[in-house]
Amino acid sequence: MLRQWSVQASGEPEPEPAGEELWEQEMERRCSSQEPVRLLPYAMVDKRFIRQLREPEGVKTSCWQQWRHRQQTAGRRLGEAARRLARGCGLWEGALYEIGGLFGTGIQSYFTFLRFLLLLNLLTLLLTTSFVLLPLTWLRPPDRGPALNFTLQCPGGHQPQTGVPKFNNLLWNVLTGRAFNNTYLFYGAYRAGPESSSVYSIRLAYLLSPLACLLLCFCGILRRMVKGLPQKMFLGQDYRSPLSAKVFSSWDFCIQGQEAATIKKHEISNEFKVELEEGRHLLMVQHQTRAQRACHLLTYLRVNILIGLLVVGAISAIFWATKYSQDNKEESLFLLLQYLPPGVIALVNFLGPLLFVFLVQLENYPPNTEVNLTLIWCVVLKLASLGMFSFSLGQTLLCFGRNKTSCESYGYNACDYQCWENSVGEELYKLSIFNFLLTVAFTFLVSLPRRLLVERFSGRFWAWLDREEFLLPKNVLDIVEGQTVTWMGLFYCPLLPLLNSIFVFLTFYIKKYTLLRNSRASPRPFRASSSIFFFQLVLILGLLLAAVPLGYVVSSIRSSWDCGLFTNYSAPWQVVPELVALRLPPPSQRILHYLGSHAFSFPLLILLSLVLTVCVSQSQASARAIRGLRKQLVWQVQEKWHLVDDLSRLMSEPGSGDSLGPASPHSRGSRPRSFCPGFPCPGSPGPRASRPEPSLEDPNGLRGVRVPARSCRFPSGSEL
Amino acid sequence: MGGSGSRLSKELLVEYQDLTFLTKQEILLAHRWFCELLPQEHRSVEESLQARVSLEQILSLPELKRLIALHRAAVKIAMQSAWPSACNTANPFKERICRVFSTSPTRDSLSFEDFLDLLSVFSDTATPDIKSHYAFRIFDFDDDGTLNREDLSQLVNCLTGEGEDTRLSASEMKQLIDNILEESDIDRDGTINLSEFQHVISRSPDFASSFKIVL
Repeated sequence: MLRQWSVQASGEPEPEPAGEELWEQEMERRCSSQEPVRLLPYAMVDKRFIRQLREPEGVKTSCWQQWRHRQQTAGRRLGEAARRLARGCGLWEGALYEIGGLFGTGIQSYFTFLRFLLLLNLLTLLLTTSFVLLPLTWLRPPDRGPALNFTLQCPGGHQPQTGVPKFNNLLWNVLTGRAFNNTYLFYGAYRAGPESSSVYSIRLAYLLSPLACLLLCFCGILRRMVKGLPQKMFLGQDYRSPLSAKVFSSWDFCIQGQEAATIKKHEISNEFKVELEEGRHLLMVQHQTRAQRACHLLTYLRVNILIGLLVVGAISAIFWATKYSQDNKEESLFLLLQYLPPGVIALVNFLGPLLFVFLVQLENYPPNTEVNLTLIWCVVLKLASLGMFSFSLGQTLLCFGRNKTSCESYGYNACDYQCWENSVGEELYKLSIFNFLLTVAFTFLVSLPRRLLVERFSGRFWAWLDREEFLLPKNVLDIVEGQTVTWMGLFYCPLLPLLNSIFVFLTFYIKKYTLLRNSRASPRPFRASSSIFFFQLVLILGLLLAAVPLGYVVSSIRSSWDCGLFTNYSAPWQVVPELVALRLPPPSQRILHYLGSHAFSFPLLILLSLVLTVCVSQSQASARAIRGLRKQLVWQVQEKWHLVDDLSRLMSEPGSGDSLGPASPHSRGSRPRSFCPGFPCPGSPGPRASRPEPSLEDPNGLRGVRVPARSCRFPSGSEL
Repeated sequence: MGGSGSRLSKELLVEYQDLTFLTKQEILLAHRWFCELLPQEHRSVEESLQARVSLEQILSLPELKRLIALHRAAVKIAMQSAWPSACNTANPFKERICRVFSTSPTRDSLSFEDFLDLLSVFSDTATPDIKSHYAFRIFDFDDDGTLNREDLSQLVNCLTGEGEDTRLSASEMKQLIDNILEESDIDRDGTINLSEFQHVISRSPDFASSFKIVL
């Protein structure tokens, strides 16, 4: 090495084989580039060597450089710490690692998702507490003035219930939320003085914090979703993950243990076989006649329409259950009726997927289509049931589509409900608790006995029953449902995120216990990346489902006359114009008016459309360029082949071949040499500076080395 | 465990931190581990840096389950399993990994610095670029710098195992390899070189999360 460099320094040209020239070019490139040494793909000895070349020991680095180096290291450490913090402060790292080792990264991603949800809930809670609760307790606004002393004109003369329950059992009160009626858990207990007299507007804070939380959660989820997005479909290939990427990234290096490895190998083998079958099926489909294609389409429609009808039936059951429960609030079967809507929702979401799987399997679709179809319908069912639940609540409390005199005069069903926001809050609270209790009950009353029985008895039935399978989509949908309910209830029940955080925290341990003790691995592998994308997508859908009613209620529905913060406003949003008029100087008011008017939104819309058009045309142009470049690459390689063939023909003619021995770099090869960017590595013709390796002895001998026809090697260290 | 003579010097630690993606605790723990494998009298710092450990010794390490108390429990658990999971019997790529990272002439033994390199590439903070570079080398079974059909079929056999029911049949293997080459071989020369491999890997967000050993 030193010899070669000294040769160069002395300026003596020597006939070097092409390999050495390339090597020197590569070395120069590496030495002059600024990238940190740790990023180079070489062995430790080589990295040291390159570092020494860059900054030879004799040269003193200036103070400036040293300071900059220290700053860079500190910055890098800070970045790493911040990334760890964002991922959850190292919470549950050990458990996640264990699960990943035993079951692979697919199931581990579910638990990472739980951690993400916990973080979201805690952040929401933090926001609410710091902007609403703390100022409220600190500023201590005056108590509610004298109750509005007017009797409501109600048919039948009955007045709204004051909320005192017939049964005074503490447990039932806690489970239905009545015990917390006058606490900060529900909307009704919040009070504030008139806007003109207070320094800090509790109303504005209370109004904006759910909206801000939803916006922040949306951004966070979107960011994570984009990270997990499979980046292939935009180049015009069909909508499947490329098989080659799957093959290269399928082995989970986190796996330890022989059984886990065997299971993983089974999974991988199944996945490959399924993919190959899909490919064959696709080929077959492409060769179908038109009649066959029409027939295929008809069967597709048939199954979907059938399942659609089932879904419609299910959600109407939910609708009736909610109505019945609300209409018969004070009957003798009190608690059963209170929990009827959550019960029906749970039942529907339990039976639905079973039926879907059964129906879809009748049709003999390729496996991927089956699974995707079932999954889509399960998601639709879940979200539709929640949507129908909130709609039927709205119908009872706010008289959507019904004509009730009390609604028309007071804006909500004042005759039956004194404080309708509290009722909504209570319903969502019950749903949340019920979901959690169901999870616990299912684990300890179904999975655990099943495992004990299967372990104890051996017979055909028990062998067929086997342990429960850890179904990833089902678990994800359950947890997303819980989160959607929490988001729906942000306005009515501001401390619901606290409850949900506790539930998510406990769910982690319960699910971990189930996974490790009571379950067996599912035969269908769930890839981590598509899982992440799928989870975040369902979560975003849930968020949108929660945001739409919230937006509607906040902007158009009359709040209760008797409780809460917005008693004197026609809709909660009206606080904002009032505050703008009160607090802001006239120029700012004019600006805000302009921003909210049509004169601003139309130009903005036009501008956004222009930007979108530019982006789309740019991406199309790039796609065209990529296609062109690929073709060029293929032509170039073919040209190389032709040249090699011509050369070998020429050299095989007698009398011309002797001077060029097979040792020449231009020797014919059966294949053209392909130089990878990392070639040649510093280990190839060149001695080590510091290590006493045997290769140092003969740098000269390397000159005549036969550069093999099969090109690029990665010799490292002392291999030569 | 934590013998008095086997503490790395500060300069060496800083140098290792500079040259790899590992943190100080991880390097210290790796060093302790490595010393466990050496005979008692050779456990000083200088000798541990020069010593080499053969492949068989490394493969015997799954027995080493002793907990080493350290600052963070996560690193403890992770490192305790990192060594076995890199080269234990469950990993079908164990020989390739050891061969790729070894700098000895016979490519069958790892020195301490090789082990650090290994952990660094498989760590969480390593860039996808370097991971894909080393993945390419691990998958290149005949060490010729490209992935040809034999390399790919050996790779698939490693992944699916040797059992009768998991092995792919010859026609399935051919179909699979044809598909892979069709998708990744951009220049149509019948092999996948490093750039093509990196291009394919960049489109798979799974890769970074599965190609790691320490959390």
